[in-house]
Amino acid sequence: MKRLGNAPLGTFSLKTRTNRVLLLLFLAAVAACMLGPSLGNTMLSPLEVIRAMAGDGEGANEFIVMNSRMPRTLVSILVGAALGVSGALLQGVVRNPLAAPDIIGVTGGASVAAVAFLTYTSGSVSIGWLPGAAVTGALVVASLTYSLAWKKGVTPIRLVLIGIGIAAVMSALTTFMIVVSSKVTASSAYLWLTGSIYGASWEDIFAMLPVVLVLTPAALLLAGSLNAQQFGDDTASGLGVRIQVHRFILLFISVVLAGTAVAAAGAIGFVGLIAPHIARTLIGRTFGPVIAASAFVGGLLLFGADLAARTIFYPVDVPAGVFTAAVGAPFFLFLLYRNRNHF
Amino acid sequence: MKTLVRMIPLLFLLLAAACGTEEDETSGEASGSEGDGGSGAEETRTVEHAMGETEIEGTPEKVVTLYQGANDTAAALGIEPIGIVESWTEQPVYKYLRDDLEGTEIVGQETQPNLEKIAEMDPDVIISTITRHEDIYEDLSAIAPTVVGQEVYEWKETLGLMGRTLDMQDEADQLLADYNERVDTFKEKMGDELPMEASITNFRADHARIFYMGFAGRVLDDAGFERPEGHANPDEWGIKLSSKESIPEADAEVIFNFNSGTETEQIEQTYEEWTSHPLWQELEAVQNDQVHMVKEETWNAGGGVIAANRMVDDLYEIFDVEEE
Amino acid sequence: MTVLQDRKGFVLLLLCTGLLLAFAASLVFGQTPITMEQAAQSFLSYNDDSTEHIVVRSDRLPRAVIASVTGASLAVAGALMQALTRNPLASPSIFGINQGAIFTVVIGVVFFSASSLLSLMGLAFAGAAVAAVIVYFLGSIGRDGLTPVKIVLAGAAISALFQSYTQGILVLDEAGLQDVLFWLAGSVSGRTLEMLLPLLPFIITALAASLLIGRAVNLLVTGDDIAKGMGQHVAALKAFMGVLIVFLAGSSVAVIGAVGFIGLVIPHIARFFAGNDYRWLLPYAALLGAVLLTAADVVARLLIMPQEVPIGVMTAIIGGPFFVFIARKGVSSV
Repeated sequence: MKRLGNAPLGTFSLKTRTNRVLLLLFLAAVAACMLGPSLGNTMLSPLEVIRAMAGDGEGANEFIVMNSRMPRTLVSILVGAALGVSGALLQGVVRNPLAAPDIIGVTGGASVAAVAFLTYTSGSVSIGWLPGAAVTGALVVASLTYSLAWKKGVTPIRLVLIGIGIAAVMSALTTFMIVVSSKVTASSAYLWLTGSIYGASWEDIFAMLPVVLVLTPAALLLAGSLNAQQFGDDTASGLGVRIQVHRFILLFISVVLAGTAVAAAGAIGFVGLIAPHIARTLIGRTFGPVIAASAFVGGLLLFGADLAARTIFYPVDVPAGVFTAAVGAPFFLFLLYRNRNHF
Repeated sequence: MKTLVRMIPLLFLLLAAACGTEEDETSGEASGSEGDGGSGAEETRTVEHAMGETEIEGTPEKVVTLYQGANDTAAALGIEPIGIVESWTEQPVYKYLRDDLEGTEIVGQETQPNLEKIAEMDPDVIISTITRHEDIYEDLSAIAPTVVGQEVYEWKETLGLMGRTLDMQDEADQLLADYNERVDTFKEKMGDELPMEASITNFRADHARIFYMGFAGRVLDDAGFERPEGHANPDEWGIKLSSKESIPEADAEVIFNFNSGTETEQIEQTYEEWTSHPLWQELEAVQNDQVHMVKEETWNAGGGVIAANRMVDDLYEIFDVEEE
Repeated sequence: MTVLQDRKGFVLLLLCTGLLLAFAASLVFGQTPITMEQAAQSFLSYNDDSTEHIVVRSDRLPRAVIASVTGASLAVAGALMQALTRNPLASPSIFGINQGAIFTVVIGVVFFSASSLLSLMGLAFAGAAVAAVIVYFLGSIGRDGLTPVKIVLAGAAISALFQSYTQGILVLDEAGLQDVLFWLAGSVSGRTLEMLLPLLPFIITALAASLLIGRAVNLLVTGDDIAKGMGQHVAALKAFMGVLIVFLAGSSVAVIGAVGFIGLVIPHIARFFAGNDYRWLLPYAALLGAVLLTAADVVARLLIMPQEVPIGVMTAIIGGPFFVFIARKGVSSV
C-alpha cells in the first residue's frame, strides 16, 4: 500500500481490496466525465456528444456540451476532488474527523474577501478578479490562524480551536456586509456563499487542473508522515518525522486546494468534511489511499450535486451547494455514528 | 487554444485519436453569426454596451431578456421575447406584465439563467445586465450576440440599449418622449406644489428600509420631487433600519411606501408596529396625510419603462392631477 | 471566611452598579440626543408629547430590558454548559444551538408561514434542543469521551450543517432571506417587550433555579465519582441542567436571533472573580452577561448611525478573539 503514492497506475496490483476500490472509484470518475455531457434536461447520446465536441453538433448541442455540461462536469469533479483532498489532509493533520476547510475558517476567509468584493467593488472592478480575491482571503486567514496557533510549534488542538474562533469572526464580518448591502448585492453574495458550479468555464478548468494534479501527488508523498502523526507528536518525532515541517507543508497544500476550489465555485460546504469519511468507510484508515479516494469521492459527490442542481428544478438552475449539504449531511451523521469507536 | 480546449475532454474519453481533423470551420461560432440567414441579409449594426461592442444583424426576432427591466422594456416595445427570467415576486411573471408576456417561456432566475435552455431556443439576441451576467457574458455570446445593460435600475439605459439592439430606435425614443411629456405635464400642473420633498420606505419582517436613488428615486427626480438630505446620493441604494428610533430619517413632505410583494403576516405586523409608533406619527407626511401606499413591483422590482409609467400613473392619481 | 464572603459580596454589588450604569447608558445614548434627566422624567412624569420620552419608553427601554435579560440567560447557560461538559469552550453558540434554532424557525417561516410568536418560540426551542443533543452525543462518542476539542468541533460541524440548510432554503427563497436578515444576524433592536413577556416567567424561573443549584454544580465539577459518593443523583442533576440550558439559550435565540459568544466569554470573566465556586460564579455570570450585552448594544447603535451593526456581529467580533485567546492559553482546565 505504501507504494501507492508514486506508483504509476499500470504497475499497481489488484490483489488488495484497497487497490480494487481505488480502481473502481477511478473508473466511476471517468464514467462521470463521460456521462456528464450526456445527462441533462435534454439527454444526448454519446455519439451526439462526440459530434458536438468535434464541432459538428446539431442545433444547440455544441454549446450545451462544450460551454455548459463539459465545463460543469470537469469543474465539479476538480473542485470536489480539491475539497476532498483538502479535507482529508486537514483531518489527518489535526487528527480529528470533524475538521474541514469550511469549519476552521479557510473558506470563511475566502468568503469575507469575496463578499467584500461583491459589496464594495460592484461594477467598478471586473468580476474576473473575484477568484483572486477569494484565494487571497483564504491564504491570509489561513496564515493568521497558523501564526496564532504557533507557540513553539503548532499543535492540532490549538489549530482547530483557533481556526474555529477565526471562522466565527469571518462569518460575522460576512453577515455584516450582507446586512448593509443592497438587495441585488445581497442575493449575489448569498449565492456565492452557497456555492455554485454555474457558469463554469474552461479557464476555471485550466486554473484548477494544475493545482489538483500537482498538489494531490505532493500530498500523497507525505502520506507516510501523516500516518505516523496519527500516533501523536512524540511518537511521530521518535519515528524521525520532521513533524512541524511536514505539518506546515500539508496544511499549505490543504489551504491552496481549498482556496482554489472555493475561488472557482464559491463557498461550497461539506464536501471537504464528508468525502474523507466516505473514503475511509470504503478503504480503511491508511492515508495514502484515503487521500486518493477522497479526491475521487469528493469529485463524484460534487458532480452528483451539480447534476441535481442543473436538472431537478429545470429551468431554474439551483446552486450546487444546496445539494451538497442536503444529501451529504445526513449521510455524514450516519457515518459518524457508525464509526463512533474510531475517534 | 480552441483546439486544445476541444482536446482535453477527448482525452478524458480516451478517444484522442479519433478526431483532430475536422477542427477548422468551427471557430467562428463565438464571434458572430455570419452564416445565419434567419433575419435576412440586412445591414449589420454595431451596438455599444456595458461590456464592449456587439454586431447585430438586421432586426432580431427571437429575443431573450435576462433581467426584470429588460422583460418590462421588451413588453413596452411590443415585443414578446421567446425567453424571459422569472420575476422575484408574483412568480413567474409580474402581474402588470402578464398580459404582454403571457406565452413567454421562463429560462430560470435572473441570477442564474439556464444556459442550456437559452441555447436550445436559438435566439437572435440576448439582453443581459452587468449587475448579474458579467461572469457569463462569454457563454451568452457563444449562444447569440449579447448586449449588456448597465445596473438593473438604470431603466433609461435599458430602453436605449434595447432600442438600438432591436432596431427599434424610433419606438424607444417615442417611449422616452412620451414619458418625458407625461412627467413634464405632471410638473406643470402641480405648479407651486413642486418641488416637494419625498422619501421612499419599505417594510420587511424584521426591519425597515429607506430607498435613496434606485429606480423609484430616479423617476421621482424626473417628476420634480426633491429628496431629503442624504437621500439623493446616486451611489447609495438606501439603508436598512432596525430601530424605530431612526424613523425620523424618513421625514419628508410625502412618503411613498411599499410593503414587499410577499405580503406575509409578519411584514404587515412590522408595518403596523412602525406606523403606529409615535415618532412615525410625528413625521410631516403623516401629519399632512401624505403617506401613500404603492406597489413594490412597479416602484422597485420592475425596473423598466412600463414600471416607470405606472409610477407616473400613481403620481397623477395620488396628487389628483388631470391627465390630458 | 467572612472576609472572603465580603469580598464576593462587594463584587456582586459592583456588578449590580455596572448593570445600572449600562442600563442607563442604553437609555441615554442613541440617535436622538437624550439627557439623563429626560430619561428619568420619562418614568416619573411621562409626557406623550415629548419625543425624548417616547423614544426612551418605546424604543430604548425595551431593548435595554431585552439585552440584559437575554445577556444574563446566555451567560448562565454558558456557565452551566461549561460545568456540565467540564469544557472551558462550551457555550450555546459553540454547541450549535443558535444555528439549530435558526434552521427550524426559517423552515417554519418559509414553508409553513408560521408567524405567531408562540409557534416561532416553539420552533426555536425544538431546534435548539435537537442541535444540543446531537452535539452532545457526537462529542461524547468515541474512546476518550467528552474532550473539549471534540465538543467544539462537533458543535462547529453541526452549526455548519444547519447553516448550510438554512442557506439552501434562503438562496431559493430570496424574499424570505430579505425578510429575516437582522434576525439571522442577531439583533435586539426593533424587538418589542411583547416578544419577551410570554417568555419572561420561564426565563426568570430558569435563572432562579440556576442560582439555587450552585452548590450541587460545585460537587459536579469536582468529578462525578465524588459527587456520587456524596449521594447525589448525578444523572438527574445533569438532565436538569440540560433542561435549564435549553430553556435559557432557546428563549434567547427566539427573541434576539443568533447572538454568540456571550455564553463563552462571560463565565470566564466570572470565574476570574469567583474562582470555580458556582454559588458565586452563576450570579456573577448573570450580571456580567447583562452588562456586556447591554453595553455592546449601545456601541452597536452608535457605530454607523442611523443604521446599526447587528448585535450578533458585535459579540462575534469581541468573542472570536477571546475564544482564540483561551485556545492559545490551553484548554486543559475548567
